[in-house]
Amino acid sequence: MRLTFLLPALALLAAATSTAQTFVFKGERWEINDPFALDNSIPPKPIVDPKKGTVNAIKGSIERTSITGGIEATLTRKLSEVTEVIWPPPARLKEAQANVSRGEPAKALDNVEAVLKFFEPIKNVPGSWWVKASIVKLDALDRLQNDAATASFLDAFEKEDAAKLPEVATQIQLARLMQRARKGDHESVIKESTELLAKVESAELQARLHIVKGNSLLAAKKYEAAMTTYLRVPVFFGSETELIPKALLGAARSFRGMDSPALRDQKLEAVSNRYLYDIIVSYPVSKEAEEAKAMLPKEERAKAEADQKKIAAGGPLPEGVIMAKPKLADEEKVEGNK
Amino acid sequence: MLIQESRTYKLAKAALLAVLIAVTPVIGNLPAQNRPLPGAQKQEEDPLSIIYKAAVKSFEEKNYKEALAQFEELDAKAVDVELKLKAVVSFQKSLCYFFTKDWPRAQAELTAFLDKYPKGTEDFLSDSDNRRGTAELLLIEALSKQGKWELALTRLEKIRTNTLARPEERVNAFTLSAQIIVERAKSGQEDAKKAAYSQAIGLLKQATADGINTPERREAAYKLVEMYTKLGLAKEASQLKNEIDAKSSGSPVEVVRSNFQRLEIGDARFAAAESAADEAFRADFYRQALTNYQGTLRRANLTSSFGRAIEAKQAEVETMTKNFPKPKPEQAANIEKAKQEVAQFKKIQEEFNVNKDYDAFISYRIGLCLLELKRPWEAHVAFLDIFENSPGFSRISGAYYYHILALRRIGRNNEAQAKCKDFIAKFPKDDQVSAIALILGDISQEREDFPEAIEHYKWVKANVKTLTPEVEEEIDFRLASCLFSQVDWAPAQKAFEEFLKKHDRSPVRQQVLYMNALCSFFQGKYKETKVDFDKYQQEYPKGQFIPDVRYRQAIVKFGVNPPDIAGTIKLCEEWIKDYAKDNTDEVIAQTPEVHTLIGDANIRLADEIDKKVKAADIDVRLNARSPDKAKFVEIKAKLEKEKEAVTNKAIDAYEAAAKSARTNPQALEFVLGELRKLLPGRGEHKRMRDLFKEIFDWNHNDPKAMTYLYEVIRSTERMGDMPEFAAESEKVRKKFSAQLADARKKVDELERRDKVTKEEVDAAKTGTKKLSAELETELAKVETKRQASIADQKKRALKILSDAVSESINDRTQEGTEKLIVFLAEKLARKIKRVKPGTKPEPSAYTSADAEKELVKLLRLEEHRDSLVAQARGFFALGQLGVFTREPEKTAANFAKIAANYKAEELNPTILGLVGDNLLTKGDHKKASEYFTYILEHSRSSEYADYGFAGLAEIAYANKKYADALSLCDEAIANNILMSKELDLRFTRARSLAELSKYAEAKKEFEEIAKTKEWRGEKTAASLYWLGLMAERQATDEKGYNEAIAYYRRCYMTWKKYEVWAAKSYFASAKLFATKLNQKDAAKLILKEMFEKDRIKDTREAEEAKAFLLGL
Repeated sequence: MRLTFLLPALALLAAATSTAQTFVFKGERWEINDPFALDNSIPPKPIVDPKKGTVNAIKGSIERTSITGGIEATLTRKLSEVTEVIWPPPARLKEAQANVSRGEPAKALDNVEAVLKFFEPIKNVPGSWWVKASIVKLDALDRLQNDAATASFLDAFEKEDAAKLPEVATQIQLARLMQRARKGDHESVIKESTELLAKVESAELQARLHIVKGNSLLAAKKYEAAMTTYLRVPVFFGSETELIPKALLGAARSFRGMDSPALRDQKLEAVSNRYLYDIIVSYPVSKEAEEAKAMLPKEERAKAEADQKKIAAGGPLPEGVIMAKPKLADEEKVEGNK
Repeated sequence: MLIQESRTYKLAKAALLAVLIAVTPVIGNLPAQNRPLPGAQKQEEDPLSIIYKAAVKSFEEKNYKEALAQFEELDAKAVDVELKLKAVVSFQKSLCYFFTKDWPRAQAELTAFLDKYPKGTEDFLSDSDNRRGTAELLLIEALSKQGKWELALTRLEKIRTNTLARPEERVNAFTLSAQIIVERAKSGQEDAKKAAYSQAIGLLKQATADGINTPERREAAYKLVEMYTKLGLAKEASQLKNEIDAKSSGSPVEVVRSNFQRLEIGDARFAAAESAADEAFRADFYRQALTNYQGTLRRANLTSSFGRAIEAKQAEVETMTKNFPKPKPEQAANIEKAKQEVAQFKKIQEEFNVNKDYDAFISYRIGLCLLELKRPWEAHVAFLDIFENSPGFSRISGAYYYHILALRRIGRNNEAQAKCKDFIAKFPKDDQVSAIALILGDISQEREDFPEAIEHYKWVKANVKTLTPEVEEEIDFRLASCLFSQVDWAPAQKAFEEFLKKHDRSPVRQQVLYMNALCSFFQGKYKETKVDFDKYQQEYPKGQFIPDVRYRQAIVKFGVNPPDIAGTIKLCEEWIKDYAKDNTDEVIAQTPEVHTLIGDANIRLADEIDKKVKAADIDVRLNARSPDKAKFVEIKAKLEKEKEAVTNKAIDAYEAAAKSARTNPQALEFVLGELRKLLPGRGEHKRMRDLFKEIFDWNHNDPKAMTYLYEVIRSTERMGDMPEFAAESEKVRKKFSAQLADARKKVDELERRDKVTKEEVDAAKTGTKKLSAELETELAKVETKRQASIADQKKRALKILSDAVSESINDRTQEGTEKLIVFLAEKLARKIKRVKPGTKPEPSAYTSADAEKELVKLLRLEEHRDSLVAQARGFFALGQLGVFTREPEKTAANFAKIAANYKAEELNPTILGLVGDNLLTKGDHKKASEYFTYILEHSRSSEYADYGFAGLAEIAYANKKYADALSLCDEAIANNILMSKELDLRFTRARSLAELSKYAEAKKEFEEIAKTKEWRGEKTAASLYWLGLMAERQATDEKGYNEAIAYYRRCYMTWKKYEVWAAKSYFASAKLFATKLNQKDAAKLILKEMFEKDRIKDTREAEEAKAFLLGL
């Protein structure tokens, strides 16, 4: 998930030339040891360069060793003095995101908590990954379907300054909607998500809202509307690759709901199976791929799995497959903590 | 090419570029412009200073001519001033020339500035910029504008290679060089252009080699993206584009520029896809185009981005103005710069706001890509977005057109037509009306709704004034074709004749001539048909319809009165000979028709001969005692032989027709019908069997395959009863009948004769009896052989059926297999001799156990031991056998094995539905629910989808989840998923409504069930009981209770055989009488009546009623 919804000020940080972990103070910059980078020892320990600052969360300070004129001195700055954070996406945050996609919410929570803890003292400083990590945590809790934990986290999150950011506020609203949808309050979820869609700008939030709305429409057996709602995600928000499998799965389910003997000519089951196939070949490590496999008739499942292996080995995309995650490795390098 | 760039889109782009040129740092900032001339510092009234200030003011107000005049005046007057001041004036003059686009003078002034002032403006305008670099770039621009490319490039090369030049200037020099090289090749050949792009890429790569962190480098990077796009290097373009976006400052200029660049990349990819010859590349290009279109920001996003930027800049201006009430020159310049940026942002916003189609165009492009990528459902959604959110889109007609296309591709023809009508109603004068009206008609035509198609075509002709001659011609043809298709031969012919007059050189003339002749043909005007076909053959001796015309000519010969049968057969035989080696689809499809015509002609001949046979028969009878009898018999025999010969020819022809009719189902059906009439009657069962077997083997998945297989099996069974047996029996009878007659005669004579002893008579009688017994023995032998033959053929038939089942028993998706299994089980069940309950069957009798064994053998379950599906089908078959042998416990046991061993995904809807139903009746709701849910998730369009809905609704009802049950029933009813479970669904719906206290709706549903004759039975009784129950629940007074009792009474009076409902009704009535109406005697009477009924007295309700009675 990219933080495209954060303030432009955050986006400006992308222009920073340095990708090393850096804290900016008034008048100086300190390179900081990455607490998430571990060495090869058993058990692995964080890699510490004494010349770089090391965060002491208990004291709320950063310490580093400086050698001036042959004399070694320890310099200390308070975390509260940090004015800006320049930090590439933390590895554990990326892993947490991947865990969510793969349907491993417990692992995701484990990873994301470490990031939250580290950035907690500087959560409101531009460039901090705290907000992003909080949102990943929300995703993980959603996957866990633990309403009590989600509600408690949301209550706390709402009190934060970051929650006042329009996009974060919407994210919280979205999480609340998802909770209500789980309780079966579909009609009001449909209504509110429709209203929210008109207000939200970011592609990611739009995609998420479409999925929430689609889920409620599906639960309310409004299959046609659910289908068009879900399909808006791959159609208009194709770059939101983490949300596409959810949308495709929802669309596949909607097509199955739409199917009836009267519509046999439209071959809706085959259409549905085609979407499930797309999920398996294009998003093989997602949780949705596992669900798609369970939904596909076993003959077609075997074919999809075989095709996925061929694609993974560099084979061509089968006709009509357009949702495959673009290979963005080079581009992702320049994302920074935008 | 699908895309047409809108004018508004072009305008928006042009406006944007104009803004970008204005902000390109060719002029730079002039922070010291407000600084007074040093010479004038001591005296504020210095006239030179006044002139300078006025000139700067004019310049800022963009009055360049006035500013130039003032700078020239200053130049003339400021003779004795510092060199840097002279340089400033010269530089400003050159700017004025530049902005008034006076390129030669600009060139001259800039050259002079650079030659005369090696230190440029020194520190006058800026401490760090002496404007020499800017002057160099402006000079190059001026040279370029005059087409002096080489001069410009030479100067640029000097800057590029000058290590002392400022880095930004060098970057600009690279960018400008690239731009000039591309500009220079603009009017050249394609190869030259490509070479220029490559050269430009080389230069721009150098400009961006050290990153893209400055505005100059980003500018170079933008140009590089453009070059990559032009050279089709999409991957490089996209990667760099993403890098630029990541480094973006968030300024609206960059946001908008980046966005439009993404659109441009998308358009370039789309264009590449349109012209790509290779299908694989094409799909890739469309995917790339789609990715770029999807990556563009939407209006709301951009608008908000503008708003935020303007707000922030405005705040910056206000803060600076507040902080520096008396700003220093540098501060004033910064304030001015911020103000200019605010104005610039607002201008971009205004320009953008003018383009109302922005979002719609993105959706439109996305829709087109998806349509090309064969994703019609997604395309449907993309176009839907335009109709929902941008109904005023300038290319709405295009959106309609492609949306209609998408709807047709997903099989939603009704919606497509509604869309066409919507468009025609909303935009009657749009250019696309005729095209869309044509589609509207075309859809009707395709659906064979010809009157509607005609209506649409006529409407187009009457209402669209801008039809092209080609479209008009097409509509005329379609109109005539529709009339033809709806078999309105006379109007069709008239339409074709008019068409030929109006469009005598039409490309479809050949077809029209042919169809016109067919109109005569189908009206039975054979004389005219011949003339018309002759005309066609004359004009198109090698025309595409010649085979059909020759065939029709043969039919004409057959159709005239009297028919020319010999001529018909001759033409047909010539046809077959001439086209024997023609493998075109038309000829292959026509061949069976020609054979059929030969068959028909021979049958006609046989009919004619039959008349003669009948006449001959009469002659034979009339001359039975005349000496000429033999002659007449001979004539009759000859005629019969003749008839037999032509009938055989007809059968041969029909058979040939059937065997060649694989691609002509209509002809096949017709001849098979004829052969069904002819072959069995002649005892030609083997021929029949072989023929149907051959046809069955064409395609076992054909919808009619099952019918052919039934015919194969029936013929095979009949084959057992061969005519030889009848002949043999007849022979035996004949042989014995003479002997028996003699013997009987002898007995008769003996009995009449006198003096014959009783022994003699008895001996004669014994002889007769013996003969009779011998006859019986001989006949029995024949019969035994016959029965053995029949049994043998039945065995063969079962083997054929077994082969057919075995072929698909492992394929879960073949739903026809279950039908075959049921058929097989039924056949075997019929072999079992029924005995009364409790009676032991004969030891040698074929029992249900034998049938089970044979079924397992025939299904070859041993062979398919490893196949899960086959084993499941085995249990299913045994279960079905139990149904036919009326052994429900066996059915339940076998179905239970399926339930215990198979997951839903291993079975098909038929088994899931039937087994699920059985499980439901046995109370295994969990497993039944699994099966029904699977049907709902995977097989909603199957014949057993209603089992899923009905079953799940029943389970939900049983679990008191009435709303869920109602929802399932409503869904099934709304989507017409009813088939064989309609009654169950409606009954569950009614009960759910009742339990949810929706009595009015429930009453309506129960009454519907109760009054429907086809549904008369248990559910009728149950509905009456429920109507009573609902009345009772709602009753508040005597009238209400009486109403309830009336329903109960109807139930128990009419439907005693459904003891459960009758018992409930009796008991409920009695309770009401006793407790609500205070009529205990009446209650007792009812209960007495209840206990007298045999079927009712032992029910649970009766037990409760007895206890109740004690309390009365």
